[in-house]
Amino acid sequence: MTGETLLRARNLVKEFTVSGGGLLGRSGRFRAVDDVSLEVAKGETLALVGESGSGKSTTARLIARLIDTTSGTIEFDGREVHALSGKALHAFRSEVQMVFQDPYSSLNPKHTVERIVTAPLAYQRRPIPGGARVFTGALLERVGLNPDHANRFPAQFSGGQAQRIGIARALAVSPKLIIADEAVSALDVSVQAQVINLLRRLQDEEGFSYLFIAHDLAVVRQIATRVAVMNGGRIVESGDRDAVFGAPQHEYTKKLLAAVPRIRPEWDAARRRNEQARREREEAL
Amino acid sequence: MTISDTLLRVRMLTVGFPNIHGPNEVVKSLDFDVARGGALGIVGESGSGKSMTSLAVMGLLPKGAKRTGSIEFDGTELTALPERAMRSVRGDRIAMIFQDPLSSLNPYYTVGTQIMEAYRSHRTGVTRRQARNVAIEAMERVHISDAARRVDHYPHQFSGGMRQRVMIAMTLSMEPELIIADEPTTALDVTVQAQILDLLAEIRADTGAGLILITHDLAVVSEVTDHIVVMRDGDLVEQGPAERIFTDPQEPYTRMLLDAVPRIDDEIGLLRTVSTEEGR
Repeated sequence: MTGETLLRARNLVKEFTVSGGGLLGRSGRFRAVDDVSLEVAKGETLALVGESGSGKSTTARLIARLIDTTSGTIEFDGREVHALSGKALHAFRSEVQMVFQDPYSSLNPKHTVERIVTAPLAYQRRPIPGGARVFTGALLERVGLNPDHANRFPAQFSGGQAQRIGIARALAVSPKLIIADEAVSALDVSVQAQVINLLRRLQDEEGFSYLFIAHDLAVVRQIATRVAVMNGGRIVESGDRDAVFGAPQHEYTKKLLAAVPRIRPEWDAARRRNEQARREREEAL
Repeated sequence: MTISDTLLRVRMLTVGFPNIHGPNEVVKSLDFDVARGGALGIVGESGSGKSMTSLAVMGLLPKGAKRTGSIEFDGTELTALPERAMRSVRGDRIAMIFQDPLSSLNPYYTVGTQIMEAYRSHRTGVTRRQARNVAIEAMERVHISDAARRVDHYPHQFSGGMRQRVMIAMTLSMEPELIIADEPTTALDVTVQAQILDLLAEIRADTGAGLILITHDLAVVSEVTDHIVVMRDGDLVEQGPAERIFTDPQEPYTRMLLDAVPRIDDEIGLLRTVSTEEGR
């Protein structure tokens, strides 16, 4: 890992109480996250991948302090997250932002875009630099939206645009870490590609880190610096992206990679040759 | 393709939801064929009309929809069939598998009961015992282990992948000639998706049934189907053999879609998108 460590989670455990079904069922403890340790360096993207029930989203929620840990420690920028209170907790809440899967359900339908993207600042009782109108316009431009649309409501935007609003809201408080929980999974492929490009560009410009939670390995490969693979609440393998994708060590990672549907590489190669020929023909005209 | 090789022949299929503003067409003048034993992929993004196309073929369009054009199945014009006759085609000869198996299964009945009911409603003079054996056999064919016991389980006792297997078992018990699968693996984990796609391929090889696979996932259609229809906003953008679509797409939209798919085993770079659509 290069760079300074921003986030360091050690031996995270999260247990939930489950009530047993039926007459003879006894309630028990279900361990959703089981001894997870991970680090995120400044400016990098750690992708946490796994199938449903792997514990990846619960891990994200623990790190964002949306839920409490059963045991384990989370250190963010040198401070223990679960010990934070008052002003320090407020600061943490703006330094770590989340972007969710469903853009519509994570945006208040009755609020204008301006109110939505300035809400994190209002909640922090911080002044809005340059005033709400100018601030919102600048944010919208950064995420590729029309700055004149600040007075519109979420329903007036497409899914991809709504997700950009969610990203703009995250950017409003200049976070150090953005936790993206399946942030591009619900989008159409052409829109998904645009949002992935946007996420990468913003990171290049701002230097923040991503904790990128996703089930889609092909998407992860486009955006991750490092990858941690989760299964049954545990991280079974982690490493640099090319190592995990190129030479997976754990059986589960191998199984996961083998299951990904793929377009035949020879078809892609043939397509590139045909496109090259088409361009040459067009240029010759 | 001669007539006898063609299982399904769709011509000028148009679906609209007419209102005071106009015909509001969501599927526009679609032409395509499914060969006997062939696998056709219909791909498109949301709003492309791909699901409406499958519902139109099944005669299951929602209220208020207007369908025109011709849908010829094994020589029979389906658009001319009375609902009663259509009902026997549906399920018996053309079966459909949906994205969400949980909402297609009744939570109050065991899966066995549901497979048996489906089977008996299309076969006359079948005893309960015979139907039960058909149900168990169908569940075994989709690799549900311990089928003789699990036939008495309720849908909630199965995982998502297993429920989709139950749906496929129900389909299989009908011995359909055409299976229409609408995003059958979209809600499933990738390892389960691979199993279900293998299962569909196995069933086609065993029974010779034709398949229409409707999906947003180009990688999935590239693995499963031999002929592809690309749709956008209700229009057919282009169609052809799978290899031709993937190696030499003619339409800019198809090329853009192929560029936008993140690859698991190809170069990593800026995903190409249509720049004019930035922010769409």
